[in-house]
Amino acid sequence: MLGTKKVGSVMIVGGGVTGMQAALDLADSGYYVYLVEKSGAIGGAMAQLDKTFPTNDCSM
Amino acid sequence: MTLSEVVGVDGIAGDFNVTVKESPRYVDVDKCIACGACTEKCPKKVDSEYDAATGKRKAIYVKYAQAVPLKYQIDPNSCIRLKKPGACGFCETVCDAGAINFNDTEKMHQINVGAIVLAPGFEAYDPTEAGVWGFGTNPNVITALQLERYLSASGPTEGHLIRPSDGKPARKVAFLQCVGSRDENLCGNGYCSSVCCMYAIKEAVIAKDHVPGLQTTIFYMDMRTHGKEFDLYLERAKNDSGVRFVRCRVNGVETDGVGGDCRLSYVNEDGRQLEEFYDLVVLSVGLQTPKHVLELAKTADIKLTAANFAATSDFAPVQTSREGIFTCGAIAGPKDIPQSVVEGSAAAAAVSDLLAPARHELTSEPSFPTEKDITGEEPRIGVFVCHCGSNIAGVVDVKSVEDYAATLPDVVYVERNLFSCSQDTQDMITKRIQEQNLNRIVIAACTPRTHEPLFRETLKAAGLNEYLVEMANIRNHDSWVHVQDPKGATAKAKDLVRMAVAKVTYGDSLRPISVPITQKCLVIGGGVAGMTSALNLAEQGFEVDLVEQTDTLGGNALHLKHTWSGEHVPTQVAKLVDKVMRNEKILLHKEARVSAVEGFVGNFRSTVTTKDGKTKVVEHGAGIIATGGEPFTPTEYNYDSITRVVTSVQFDKLFELKEQHVKSARRFVFIQCVGSREGDNMYCSKVCCTHSVQSAIALKKENPERNVYILYRDMRTYGQRESLYKQARKLGVVFINYELHGKPKVSEAGNMVAVEVWDHVLHRPLKIECDLVILATAVRPKVDASDLGKLYKVPVDGHGFFQEAHAKLRPVDFSTDGMFVAGLAHYPKPIEESVAQALAASSRAATLLSKTSVSLDAIKATVDENYCDGCALCVDVCPYHAISLVDRPEGNGKIIRVNKAQCKGCGLCQGTCPKRGVFVAGFTMQQISAQVQAALAV
Amino acid sequence: MSFEPKIVAFCCNWCSYAAADLAGTARMQYPHNVRIVRVMCSGMVHPEFIMDALSQGADGVMVLG
Repeated sequence: MLGTKKVGSVMIVGGGVTGMQAALDLADSGYYVYLVEKSGAIGGAMAQLDKTFPTNDCSM
Repeated sequence: MTLSEVVGVDGIAGDFNVTVKESPRYVDVDKCIACGACTEKCPKKVDSEYDAATGKRKAIYVKYAQAVPLKYQIDPNSCIRLKKPGACGFCETVCDAGAINFNDTEKMHQINVGAIVLAPGFEAYDPTEAGVWGFGTNPNVITALQLERYLSASGPTEGHLIRPSDGKPARKVAFLQCVGSRDENLCGNGYCSSVCCMYAIKEAVIAKDHVPGLQTTIFYMDMRTHGKEFDLYLERAKNDSGVRFVRCRVNGVETDGVGGDCRLSYVNEDGRQLEEFYDLVVLSVGLQTPKHVLELAKTADIKLTAANFAATSDFAPVQTSREGIFTCGAIAGPKDIPQSVVEGSAAAAAVSDLLAPARHELTSEPSFPTEKDITGEEPRIGVFVCHCGSNIAGVVDVKSVEDYAATLPDVVYVERNLFSCSQDTQDMITKRIQEQNLNRIVIAACTPRTHEPLFRETLKAAGLNEYLVEMANIRNHDSWVHVQDPKGATAKAKDLVRMAVAKVTYGDSLRPISVPITQKCLVIGGGVAGMTSALNLAEQGFEVDLVEQTDTLGGNALHLKHTWSGEHVPTQVAKLVDKVMRNEKILLHKEARVSAVEGFVGNFRSTVTTKDGKTKVVEHGAGIIATGGEPFTPTEYNYDSITRVVTSVQFDKLFELKEQHVKSARRFVFIQCVGSREGDNMYCSKVCCTHSVQSAIALKKENPERNVYILYRDMRTYGQRESLYKQARKLGVVFINYELHGKPKVSEAGNMVAVEVWDHVLHRPLKIECDLVILATAVRPKVDASDLGKLYKVPVDGHGFFQEAHAKLRPVDFSTDGMFVAGLAHYPKPIEESVAQALAASSRAATLLSKTSVSLDAIKATVDENYCDGCALCVDVCPYHAISLVDRPEGNGKIIRVNKAQCKGCGLCQGTCPKRGVFVAGFTMQQISAQVQAALAV
Repeated sequence: MSFEPKIVAFCCNWCSYAAADLAGTARMQYPHNVRIVRVMCSGMVHPEFIMDALSQGADGVMVLG
């Protein structure tokens, strides 16, 4: 059953590329985003890879 | 929120209460300036998780050099002080910023949100327990993730490939595929991890680049390079880089003698038992759901599949079993980076659909005082020199830099700060700007790449234009890299300050450009992807024009019966069509195509022409291309002349209608890769392996007596589809591998069809007489894709599929802003991936459409009317098609015009112009010249 | 006194300037003779800048992008 109340914020659990993409899109479309990351910094598994195309850092 | 975990989820969709547990960091992030002094002094070393235990880190550490937030943390499990109060504590002593807090405690937060997105990712399979590969006992057996770190310039060996046992350079490397995947005996993971084939090839190629003459061999069962451009990469690895590929499953790895060599024994395709020796064995470990994610799934109360991934529908690939909770990435099945990024956006679209009424309710725009007009004022420059604790002041004589700055022309105020970026210094700078009536600012501190935005805000707060600040990078480019040379560093700091002062003297107030946005979207293509995009945007509240070339909605999905997981396609497509037709916000243009386009992001004007020649101009802020693909009509295997040779789509129809000659048939042969993975079509059509396996299962289930053969090159039932492959083998479907140079031969044999193929197990040609041959045909791009592409200035790739902006990080964006791609138009893919991509495209479009105008950076090319003579040299070099040649308003010749919405400020035009007719605001010829001159003065 | 060259380096904001920043973070040590001018793209560097630098006494110019 869907409640009538709609809160304009979202929680994203996981700060890898996937979570960051979801967070950026939602923040850019007018929602307040809580990005929850288990470790000390976002970036996830992709940041561990040596060569993916251009960049390993993110622009949060 | 870092070091945080969700421990409780209450409430319902639209109104959840989430409990988040935040573990202590023991470092105050507001105070930490990431100088690294603490790590240097910390005496405790442990294995680095980031380096996958190939390297070490300290107990106080930053996860990796580019980490965000770039703040240190203390690992309570290894910190000497935290384990024994009163001991050690060196980090606290050396921290100038006073950021260490050993008394930090765990905190619980209650957070009210409308929706939850789960993106916790995966863990790599740990091969220690399985034993057979020697991982954990032989140091020369490593995982692929460890190899990534060894190959990385920032890794433990700075990119040198060595044998961990003795540090000798590696000459021979073996990769073993499917470790922790497609293997229920050793690890219980029956599924395919989808990414290991590709990463192994990449690592093999890069390793060969690092070490000339290195021999690399990949031992595999099926090469699963089904993604976009992946097969081309595979061919290049084989033919250009010389990576060796051996199809077999290696039984195990043994350590040979004292040298640390690894002995592999395997049975090759000819059935011979072989042994080979390697310096290094790399285990291509699979992906699996970590324990903490299983707990999270339990906390969130969502259903999982048998393989421990989140259960989703193929038509709603990011929706979990609990309303309001969405997933994306590897939690819902192993997948690669582009697909994970797609799902990230897709989840955002699904959330937006749910929460659209509450959009903008909790976000706010900061307000600033009115900006002061400085036109005509003499420059009054303020210079602020940062100590950055001891980071700068420990090397550079900041006092003498301060004194020197005061002597520079137009500098009227100079001050030193301990930390220029701290909040109290910000407030102080704001005060000084007003008190001293400063109109240009130089901050001599760290890098503008991280801190310029902060100081721009400070200027705004002081009522000064944000572009009137310049940073002199006396930390990253000076004190940190000339530690042994304080004198040289101090002289350089003075030069850098002089250069910044010279540049800012010529600085102007710049206004960010604001472009209005038409809050409507145009979706081209009425298949599953197009309809999904259109519907999502309409439900988010945006108006959508949907253009379909034919008179029916549904596209290629109209020919499909079941998705890989068994969902009935016609029912789902009918539902989708119904929703699209009923939605008042969607205006459908049937039997129509786009014939002309003008405009740019936020302001497109597309002309839609219907079959009867009527035209209509549609204004839209964003556009989504979802024009689909086409089935390939085979030209080989006597498809033209033998009626018993059919395509898979034709077979589906015959099977469904229970055609007599199919119903009574006993022998079936499927031939894979018809029109795929050869010649000019070196790409995998991705869906055909699964499709044939499903058809084979259906045939066997209907009548187990039937003989069903699948002739394949590599069985690409990736991800959880592997269970279908397993089921088919169990039901007795016969799989026969063939190579490109030994394609099957198909001929008529009376009432039957004869198929000849080389049998690798029996080592002789095999002749199968069958009732029906089913060709698994390729998916082709639309022939007119490039025509549509030209209209919107978006490219197609070498095969004719639309080319996204970035293969990994921008998988649905085009390089042209405001345009997006989804579905088969981008590359062949199954329904759930098309739906995810369609949702992602909607999400990306919504980031634009949710605003009435978009504000762009003021660093843009600007025409100087006095000098531009319309030679148009810059028009061709502009990579963003932002410059056009127009008539001068006075009618005397030509002049260029820059579309600021398209300009990215790269300045190729400025570098090209021989007459100073165009410049980039903020980086003018005058500014850069002044900087160069200042660099060389003295 | 030994020869101390002066080098002007034009660095692209998105790659080489960022790399110079990272060299700092990693505390890599190099001679102090280089002066970096930040540009938004190495394509922005007009040939005139290079001529200017050389004629004004630079011993070397690097364009990095």
